[in-house]
Amino acid sequence: MKGQNDEDLALSRRAAGGDSAAFAMLVEKYERPLRSFLVRTVGADVADDVAQDAFFKAWRAAAQYDGRARYSTWLTRIAWRCRIDRLRRERTPEAVEQESHQPASLEIDDMLARLSESERAALALCEGHGWTQAEAAELLALPLGTLKSTVARAKAKCRAMWEGADHG
Amino acid sequence: MADAFDRFLADSLAPPERVADRKFVAGVQARILLEEGLARERRALLASLATQLAALLAVAAAVWTLGHATPVGEWFTQYSAPGLAVLLLAFAFVVALFSSAGRSPLRGLELG
Repeated sequence: MKGQNDEDLALSRRAAGGDSAAFAMLVEKYERPLRSFLVRTVGADVADDVAQDAFFKAWRAAAQYDGRARYSTWLTRIAWRCRIDRLRRERTPEAVEQESHQPASLEIDDMLARLSESERAALALCEGHGWTQAEAAELLALPLGTLKSTVARAKAKCRAMWEGADHG
Repeated sequence: MADAFDRFLADSLAPPERVADRKFVAGVQARILLEEGLARERRALLASLATQLAALLAVAAAVWTLGHATPVGEWFTQYSAPGLAVLLLAFAFVVALFSSAGRSPLRGLELG
């Protein structure tokens, strides 16, 4: 983990110095988990735009990455702020109505569409991306206890749907 | 112990196994290049505006100083029409000089 952080820190420092090839290596490395998280959380229609905003901000703020957190954690925090900014800018009655993105026919998308955005984010990070609950709580600006109950609630809802679909 | 549902959830929510999306990476790089180019042009434009403002202030100060010099003041009192013509010509010269020097800030910016 430490070695990984050191490698990312070195790349980020090179990016801060204007080395776009070094930054491209970071984008190559982290676009897959970040976009996957965003697709699950905010929907496929805006995920790539938010991811691109996040990578651009990460490039501008490359000098601020100090290697204490994982690069993926730092980047996801930036993406989450981008998402919140975007929601503030675009919030209209229609946007609020559509906040829960419509599912594709896939089962997991169907389940996630019935959760709130913070439940989707908490579940995706803790159950799918290997984040600790403390890291997820920090990202979502929730107390640890609230995050734990959010994950448990989201998981219970999904389990009920899953068992209701004759998997149980 | 993880049951079938836990495994299903973890498998479904984990990032997909695939190689890096080169198109997305190129898109991010293109956006960075574009934004950096725009930022450079904005800085150049601001620097150019500051230089022009300083030059105009210097010219104004010089004209004001000259206008308050006694011999020049007397000449302007006696010959106000030619004096005004001289000032207008000088102003037109300064405007022409600065507009030709300041035309370039946005040149070379390719958005395509």
